[in-house]
Amino acid sequence: MKRLASGLFAFALSAAALAAVAAAAAADYPARPVQIIVPYNAGGGTDLTARLIAQTLEKYLGGTVLVRNQPGGGGGIGTSAALHARPDGYTLGTGSQGPLAMLPHYGGIDYTIQDVDFLALIGRNLMVVAVNKNAPIKDGKAFLAYAEAHPGRLTVGNSGAGGANQIAMEGFAMAAGVQVKSLPFGGSIAAITACIGGHIQAVVAHPAELIDHVKAGNLRVVMVFEDERIPAFPDAETAKELGVDFTWAAWKGLIAPKGLPAAVRAKLVAALDKTFHDKAFLAKMTGMGEDVDYRRSAEFKRLAERDAVVAGNVIRAIGLYGMNGKTK
Amino acid sequence: MDALSFFTPMTAVLIFAGVTVGIVFGAIPGMTATMAVAVCLPMTYGLNIDNSLSLLLALYVGGISGGLVPAILVNIPGTPSSIMTTMDGHPMAKKGEAERALKIGIVPSLFGGLFSATVLFFFAPPLADLAIKFSYVEKFLIILFALTIIASLSKNLLTGIFSGVLGIWLSLVGTYDINNGGNGETRLMFGWMEGFLSDGFSLLSVLIGLFGLSVLLAEAEKGVPAEATSQFKLSGAKTFSLSVFKGQIGNLIRSASIGTFVGLLPGIGGSAASVLAYTQQKNLSKAPEKMGTGVPEGVIASEASNNGLTGGALIPLVSLGIPGDSTTAVMIGAFTLQGLQLGPLFIGEHLETWDMMVINLFLANLVMFAIMFFAIRHIVKIIQVPKYLLYPVIVVMCTVGAYSANSGIMFDVWTFLLFGLFGYFGQKMGLEVTPLIIGFILGKDAEIYFVKSIESYGSLWIFFTKSPIAMALWGLIAVSLAYSIHNIRKAARRGKQDAAP
Repeated sequence: MKRLASGLFAFALSAAALAAVAAAAAADYPARPVQIIVPYNAGGGTDLTARLIAQTLEKYLGGTVLVRNQPGGGGGIGTSAALHARPDGYTLGTGSQGPLAMLPHYGGIDYTIQDVDFLALIGRNLMVVAVNKNAPIKDGKAFLAYAEAHPGRLTVGNSGAGGANQIAMEGFAMAAGVQVKSLPFGGSIAAITACIGGHIQAVVAHPAELIDHVKAGNLRVVMVFEDERIPAFPDAETAKELGVDFTWAAWKGLIAPKGLPAAVRAKLVAALDKTFHDKAFLAKMTGMGEDVDYRRSAEFKRLAERDAVVAGNVIRAIGLYGMNGKTK
Repeated sequence: MDALSFFTPMTAVLIFAGVTVGIVFGAIPGMTATMAVAVCLPMTYGLNIDNSLSLLLALYVGGISGGLVPAILVNIPGTPSSIMTTMDGHPMAKKGEAERALKIGIVPSLFGGLFSATVLFFFAPPLADLAIKFSYVEKFLIILFALTIIASLSKNLLTGIFSGVLGIWLSLVGTYDINNGGNGETRLMFGWMEGFLSDGFSLLSVLIGLFGLSVLLAEAEKGVPAEATSQFKLSGAKTFSLSVFKGQIGNLIRSASIGTFVGLLPGIGGSAASVLAYTQQKNLSKAPEKMGTGVPEGVIASEASNNGLTGGALIPLVSLGIPGDSTTAVMIGAFTLQGLQLGPLFIGEHLETWDMMVINLFLANLVMFAIMFFAIRHIVKIIQVPKYLLYPVIVVMCTVGAYSANSGIMFDVWTFLLFGLFGYFGQKMGLEVTPLIIGFILGKDAEIYFVKSIESYGSLWIFFTKSPIAMALWGLIAVSLAYSIHNIRKAARRGKQDAAP
């Protein structure tokens, strides 16, 4: 009985101590530099965005915020490092669509989307379909009609096999019940060039990559995978207008491993909220050509999980599921 | 001169420094113009757009030009695009005409550079429109065209073709990339090799191994001759004079045009330009059998074409935002950083930057010529250094080059060693190195473009029916083959006549 009492006492004591430590941790947080792992090379879009966020976040978090680049494996290596870090709020990561919603389906990846704590969505990179200016396809309706009339013959270029752009086109085709011929290129620019040259009929790409070519009259944007038409290409119809329930865009956000202390998480989320309402920060992002589309944790999570399901279905349908090894 | 208002003392310093550094990078086997630009790119972060372009373009021109120095002096191409310079340049050096060969080399370099800059300035948009007409099908045919050189380059037709095919075979080692129409599996290797070879053999390591190390090993085998120091005369019976270019105007213009044209096609590398220009010169030469024995026209063809690349590769970059070669691909970063969007609207919206680019390109070429012309008499002394001192230094440089080629992968050094030994023993068995390396360089692209053509169009007939360009290319391939067969038969007949009496 005495032993049990002392055991209980010890347990109570250590629990109290732990609680005190945790409370202290939240109050002190951040006591040392906070790291954001960027799973891509320095100098890229995600890297520059992360550095700008780090700069602004320091102000609201009251501590040093550093960016660490850990590229490789299409972003899978750095994302894995961020998700397997100790969940204490000192290691965060940028979470992009590729590594979070798509890579796990290809296999050989040691995390799933269930391991992610979504903190904030930074922005989305819209996905549109463009055709050569001389193509008989004049609008979204004609695009769909052509795909229906010529199953598997409409050639659509994308940025690379299994990338977000291919998933976008194949996802649209699945939702519309048509078949197109997706042709992977070594990067978006190569695909766009082939489309301008008339070697492929259409291309899936981001608006920023196409806008100059549309202005120069080389290409015509016929369809956007958004809920509503976009100001850059007001004539392009949404897939929804054509009766195809499909939306798709690339995105990036900030993530952490699951299990952050609640107080730390609250402090972090509040500081991020202020960051994304910081006028100087927003102006700098716009100057770099990055569209900020800030969304809070819950909405970010919903978007990411929805995309992971869509991507999983498409990847299974095009036969690339588990291509790189066992899926977790 | 309004257009020259950008010109400041800083610009002059940057161009001069850029060209010099570029030449050094070009001259060290295993280091290239692309690396020179990549290494110096971060330095431009603090400069304005005018100055950063002065530096980068100067590095580019210097890097492409420097390759002829080791090609002529020690038979090792400093960069892949000066492979064909070794064919006639080094035999000239052996004849005691090293200084003459170098001087003959830099004149067409200058011509090619200025020619392509002029073409860039006047015809960039229409040529960019032409470039995008080349799909996978046409690109495959151009590479096939370049591969026909193997027939006319071989000392013995059969071993030459065998070596070329072996080179193509070696180029296929590695992952069959899913983006290239493959299945993502590794090819031509065992499982335990995947860690090293998933990207295949590195081109630069193979190149300097085959050309550099194997030659040095063969020389080492010969031992140190008693009169080692006086082996090479710097300038022999013939001294350099401009009269050597008499009758070569056609060669100059044709080779520079080929260089510019190959440059403007994205996805076809600079070595193809040098190879194509050399073949065409050989086919059209009055004395094709002399090509390869140390005649100026071979050096002229190769050097005019590789400097012709520079302006050509900038054409799709400025008018479409697509780099024409690997060096201009690195340059995109400099533009993005300055907030300049390259693409169809670039020239119109940034007229001043555009003018300045072209002027910079002109200046860089002139500075390159001046530096090289006065440096040659000093550079050329390298070959007077006793071989037992010179060659170990070259091996060190090659090793460093191989290691730095892909920013520090040790396997690239082993590749260099492996291919050095392979080249050494291979040559003893009659293998021909030049067809092998041409096969290696062009083989992979040939496969990719072939597979992608079939994937896109689904039929073999597309290669004949795709476009008038494709048909014209078939014509050129046929003519090139006919010429080389004709030349081989003529040489064989002459050989018989020589043997008969």
